[in-house]
Amino acid sequence: MNTKAKDTEGSENRGVSGCDLKSVLSKIKLPLEIRIHGRGGQGGVTCAKLCALVYSRLGLFAQTFGDYGMERAGAPIRAYTRIDGNPIKNRNKIYTPGHLLILDPSLLESGALVGAPHGSMVLLNTPDRLSSFHGFCEEFRFAIVNATQIARKHGIGASSVVIVNTAFVGAYARVVSLPIEMVRETYSSLGLLNDFAAAQEAYDAVNIREAITPVRFPDEAPDSVPGSPVEVIPLTELTQDMPTPLKTGSWRTQAPKYVTLTPPCNYACPAGNDVVGFIQKFHNFGLEASSEILLATQPLPSVCGRVCPAPCMESCNRALYDGAVNIRGLERWIGDHASNYPIPVKASANPKTVAIIGGGPAGISAAYFLARAGHKVDILDNQAKLGGVLRNGIPAYRLPEDVLDRDLERLEALGVSHRPHELITPLRLKQIALEYHAVIVATGQAESIIPRLAGVDLPGVEQGLTFLNRVKSKGRENIRGTVAVIGGGNTALDCAGTTLRCGADKVVIVYRRGQTEMPAIKEEIRDILVEGVELVLCRQPVRIIGDKAVTGLEVAEVELGDPDESGRKRPLVTNNLSVISCDHVLIAVGQTANRGILPSDWVVTKQRVYAGEEPTNVWLAGDFSAAEGTVAHAIGSGRKIAMDVMNCLSDSTESCVGNSSSIPELVSADNINLFCFPRREILEDIHLDVSTRTHSFEEVNLGILSGEESRRCLSCGNCAHCDACLIYCPEGIITRSGQDYLINLDYCKGCGICVYECPRHAMEMSLKS
Amino acid sequence: MITGNHAAATAAVLAGRANRSGRGFCSGVYPITPSTECMEFLCLQDIEKGHVVKVESEHSAMAVCIGASVSGARSFTTTAGNGLIYMAENVMVAAFLRLPVVMVVGNRAVGPPWNIWTDHSDSLALRDSGWIQIYCGNNQEVFDAVLIAFRIAEDHRVLMPVMVCQEGFVLSHTMALTEIADQTQVDQFLPQLNLPHRLAQTPRVVGSFTSSRMIEAHREQHHNAMRMAWDVYTEAQTDFEKTFDRRPPDPVVTYRTEDAELVLVSMGTIAETVNRVVDNLRDRGLRIGSVRVTMFRPFPFDALKKAFTGISRIAVIDRDISLGFGGVLWGEVRSLAQPGMVVQNYVSGLGGGDVRPEHVEQMVKDALERKTTGPSIFVGVGE
Repeated sequence: MNTKAKDTEGSENRGVSGCDLKSVLSKIKLPLEIRIHGRGGQGGVTCAKLCALVYSRLGLFAQTFGDYGMERAGAPIRAYTRIDGNPIKNRNKIYTPGHLLILDPSLLESGALVGAPHGSMVLLNTPDRLSSFHGFCEEFRFAIVNATQIARKHGIGASSVVIVNTAFVGAYARVVSLPIEMVRETYSSLGLLNDFAAAQEAYDAVNIREAITPVRFPDEAPDSVPGSPVEVIPLTELTQDMPTPLKTGSWRTQAPKYVTLTPPCNYACPAGNDVVGFIQKFHNFGLEASSEILLATQPLPSVCGRVCPAPCMESCNRALYDGAVNIRGLERWIGDHASNYPIPVKASANPKTVAIIGGGPAGISAAYFLARAGHKVDILDNQAKLGGVLRNGIPAYRLPEDVLDRDLERLEALGVSHRPHELITPLRLKQIALEYHAVIVATGQAESIIPRLAGVDLPGVEQGLTFLNRVKSKGRENIRGTVAVIGGGNTALDCAGTTLRCGADKVVIVYRRGQTEMPAIKEEIRDILVEGVELVLCRQPVRIIGDKAVTGLEVAEVELGDPDESGRKRPLVTNNLSVISCDHVLIAVGQTANRGILPSDWVVTKQRVYAGEEPTNVWLAGDFSAAEGTVAHAIGSGRKIAMDVMNCLSDSTESCVGNSSSIPELVSADNINLFCFPRREILEDIHLDVSTRTHSFEEVNLGILSGEESRRCLSCGNCAHCDACLIYCPEGIITRSGQDYLINLDYCKGCGICVYECPRHAMEMSLKS
Repeated sequence: MITGNHAAATAAVLAGRANRSGRGFCSGVYPITPSTECMEFLCLQDIEKGHVVKVESEHSAMAVCIGASVSGARSFTTTAGNGLIYMAENVMVAAFLRLPVVMVVGNRAVGPPWNIWTDHSDSLALRDSGWIQIYCGNNQEVFDAVLIAFRIAEDHRVLMPVMVCQEGFVLSHTMALTEIADQTQVDQFLPQLNLPHRLAQTPRVVGSFTSSRMIEAHREQHHNAMRMAWDVYTEAQTDFEKTFDRRPPDPVVTYRTEDAELVLVSMGTIAETVNRVVDNLRDRGLRIGSVRVTMFRPFPFDALKKAFTGISRIAVIDRDISLGFGGVLWGEVRSLAQPGMVVQNYVSGLGGGDVRPEHVEQMVKDALERKTTGPSIFVGVGE
């Protein structure tokens, strides 16, 4: 651009919006040479052009051009503007600028000041204060402004690349005593009026310091290009990478960082398993390493890998893509195949004695974590063997006893002692509380609920759990005829499956709501239907019919109303009655905790027993305190209470209330670049053939055939070292560092491509502080 | 008895095998008449540590060669005419990366109008691409030139690609008795390629951005290395003779130029026709001679100056035309003219036109009669 602006018509006397142009002109020393240093993307070249246009409004001749570096954002660029009263013929670059405009302070290191004669004006874009430049640039008239902050405030450019030029020109106008009105008119003629407020703010904000050291003029102008001389290396001797040094300095306004976010599966696991952790460990480091992670939160992986309803799989981000990862199958595979290695016991500096009442999953869990921490644990249980409902309630075709025993071997190895056949009474409990440092009551829901139903006392009517317990301990019974099971939970299903295996001709499950409302595990419902059990849905049993023995079950039709607090549709019983003829009725409508074992003067608040206002050394865990109903919940509860107990027993000042209940930031499927993951079929569990399984108590579900399923885990929110960030980084400044990555922030442009390309949302952008 | 194409391919395979102790051989190829046979022959060979990659275009073929070469493999390809023009961008890349690729160009007219026959306008269009250019005069020279091309290309004083030009059909498809070297000899003549700037374990960029001052430096280095090629070629000729017992032609081959008043300068096979005419006319008492330029880049100034000593008239026969200027060879030769010399240009044999002895005699008559140099004359047009 080499122009004399025509729109001023050369009328030097005409005032521009009240400015006295003659006095403005008289202050400008011509010819004037301006050099601008910036970085690609900041608008340095446009800055030079804007300066030229402002001067041209005074009727002066102007020439302006860019001296581009490599065509990359962030690359240092220079731009030049010449102003004169006569046409400009000099087409060389500017080596001895009278005005130096520096858009990024990091450019000072790369020779931005070279060639500027003493007494020149230097205007610097910096967040620093003038006082921090003591002893620096004292031979120049020196001015600073935080144009980046001002431009960002006014929303000029993108959040990653703030364009500072229009604000900066405002500051320049002030430093060289050009009326801000001329800047406004220039912007107006260019359609840039939106940026004028920023220019005005910079005009007001600039800080100026006059030259301090005496001004000397160099005898001769330097004749070299500013910057350090280039070392010439023959192309054929280039055997090392030469990354272009491109420090991004203050030009970068945001930066990527690696984050670890909570994947939905981890959050959903009632036992608190690090699901992504153990699956990724398995995938990358194999069985034993994975088992170590799993066993850190899960005392019964083989059990949970069989009987858990797996809320983790429902929340899996892969669920709607190509099916949830078979997490339960993997937990089982790892539990079954990893060696039962001795779990390291942390030697406690202050070992305590803890009594646990009840040998079910919650008690086992609490004992496991206390023992791992080095405490002495006794489990007091009314049965001969540990396991509680796992041993007595769940049929062998779902949970073989040897599987349970193998999981329990670890407990034994940890030195937990088992005191069988203990009968707990309130008095005994008080005694125990005196004998131990702490007591955890985890007797579960041992009492079956007996519905108020005519005929419940008839021969042929039995509590489901009693029946299951008997078959489990004494072996298969012979059952003939039709069996009706009342209930919709896993116990009902187990009763149905067990009676079928005992020879029943026909088995029906009577449930008062619909199939989707059944609390049992979905896969179990599917399995039981395959085996030939019928569901009689939306029927409320009203009477058991029979004289000396059961002959039928009278049921009333139920209509489903609005959802209740649990979200399930409320059953509305009608008068439509019908009879299901049957020979046996098993009742499985739920259990309840026997609170009668607690002394009457004990008050329970938040799973802790209080004597009056004072907390005691007794806690409650598992279903005994909160009926959540799954093994995983019981394990989670046992662990949480064990931690609470340890916190209170230790001398630490930590709160006894324990875990915070705040919801962590979860990674949703929307956060995952699913297209990065090829669709891959789920590795489903293998099942015994229907015809063979209904005749035996052999385990039905054989699990998965290999651990290959771990490949499907997306590792949501957790870096899987896939190198995507490293590969996509356009600057090549991400490197591997052991297991992790390093981002060289000196050269990072903050473009965000690594974050955008991360398949699993394990990176985020953050504003540079 | 083999064709020029098969001679070229055979030499390339021998050279490729000779690098088996190094990083092997890799060639990117794409067919085009008249070079297809050469590429086909290559594809059929079983080369230890060798790989011939068939790609979708000449541009990609050279890209394969660049990748192979920069990772230390010996690399070769062949193309012709418009194929070479399409390849041009990567032809330059190979040179400016200083990679010792060898390419046989089956010289073919650049269309349209389409024509598969020979002239030099394809390879001469890439005169300034930074490649060494050798123009062959017979089948044996094609075989020998490919071997010697690898030798000079890979010499650390040179390190740049070499184009071996053989006229399409005239050489590429003409069968002639050709002496083939055995592998032991070639192994001896072509030691393992050791590219100083080859890519290894550490990933890096070759040929990335550079400043204006730096590019000047690199061009100067390239130019100086090009000028080293004469010495390196001479050494290679001697070594070649020791190994194979025959000597490849000098960069400038003279024929009966002693006491000549007029010399005819040409490239490629036309020189053989010219030599026949020289014999004939010498019998009739005319003092004429023949000069053949075999190495066109680097341009052999000194050898030509020597050949022109005492000569007052030069006729330059171009099988090409730089439109708006004249013959390309003529342009170069004219720069050596002494004051008062007649350096007349004759353009003939484009698109495979047969340059016959009577055409050359016509040129001789004109060159001997004229008082000053005139504009380029087309000879044999429309015949």
